[in-house]
Amino acid sequence: MLLKRTYKVAGHVFSLSLEGEDRAWEALGNYDPFVIDETEELFSLEVVPEFDIQGKKELYVSEPEPGEQRIDIHTIEGGYLFEMAPLPDLPVCGWLKVSSDFSKGWLKTASNKVFCVNNALMLMYAFRTAGLDTLEIHASCTVCQGKGFLFLGKSGTGKSTHSRLWLKNIDGAWLLNDDNPVIRVVDGIPRVYGTPWSGKTPCYINDDYPVGAVVRINRAPHDQIHRMSLVEGFASLYSSSSGLRALKPIADGLFDTVSSVVQKVPCYLLDCLPDDEAAIVCSKEVLGNA
Amino acid sequence: MRIKEGFTLRSIVGQYVVIGEGISQVNFNKMITLNDSAAYLWQSVEGKEFSVEDLTRLLTDKYEVSDEKAAADAAALAGKWIEAGIVEE
Repeated sequence: MLLKRTYKVAGHVFSLSLEGEDRAWEALGNYDPFVIDETEELFSLEVVPEFDIQGKKELYVSEPEPGEQRIDIHTIEGGYLFEMAPLPDLPVCGWLKVSSDFSKGWLKTASNKVFCVNNALMLMYAFRTAGLDTLEIHASCTVCQGKGFLFLGKSGTGKSTHSRLWLKNIDGAWLLNDDNPVIRVVDGIPRVYGTPWSGKTPCYINDDYPVGAVVRINRAPHDQIHRMSLVEGFASLYSSSSGLRALKPIADGLFDTVSSVVQKVPCYLLDCLPDDEAAIVCSKEVLGNA
Repeated sequence: MRIKEGFTLRSIVGQYVVIGEGISQVNFNKMITLNDSAAYLWQSVEGKEFSVEDLTRLLTDKYEVSDEKAAADAAALAGKWIEAGIVEE
């Protein structure tokens, strides 16, 4: 029998339905801190054995990047089809069919069910909430002095490492999320929320704080920080926000939310080494201005 | 020449920027800032085939500028857009 659980992440409610006996539930403990007892949901995902699709047309085929997952997107009658694989050279293992407004999703998998469920929920979340003052950010987020500090950067630049350096060197700093926190503008104030999606670090915290700063990490032979202009800050945060920009409502939503966040929160570029000094240089500047 | 598909002109608190948003620009991670007159030209030629002469005429129509200066500015801007990859010849 299908078991349905409902979750609330950054105030947005969604549900997951999966066979009650499925062992995958045990590996989906990252959602446990977000369980709620509400029925009014923004979107739902159901894991199913099979589904029909019609009129499949390629919309976007991703550029394979070594070590990164691959997601290809097709348009189909009534919505979209996402095909996913954990690595570029592995076969597709999950197919996500979604309605055109991203409110209903159906997932079938050939393998890696937990990876597919996590990915499907992250995709649906980002696309469904893009018009709701919400951004799903590829970042590591550390909390200090009651504010959240987001560290952005391309894969491998050391976002997580920089958070670790704060935890080690800065009194009272702790990790809220290590890969995909959510920013939401509430009553004009950008806040950062923990989520069930934290990359390789099991850090699933249902809590939120006002954003103190957004810091882009750039590997360099020295430790130096500078404040970005509004447009630079926009480019930095926009490029790290998830969403299918080819769909106008999503592009419009991302644009509005990113613009609103960068007008209220300082953005920085941190040239740094992966050393203790980097956390000290960074925290000195951003804590003073948060 | 014409503007490549998938580029959108937007304004961030008064600063015009061109952002790659279409599916064909999914891997375009640059953002191009435009001043007010460049944004006016962009809006005027969006979705159309245009030449440096068209840009020149648009400049002399709207601004008090000599033909020579407008032609030089138009040519420089068109070159910049092509170099940035947002306009194709």
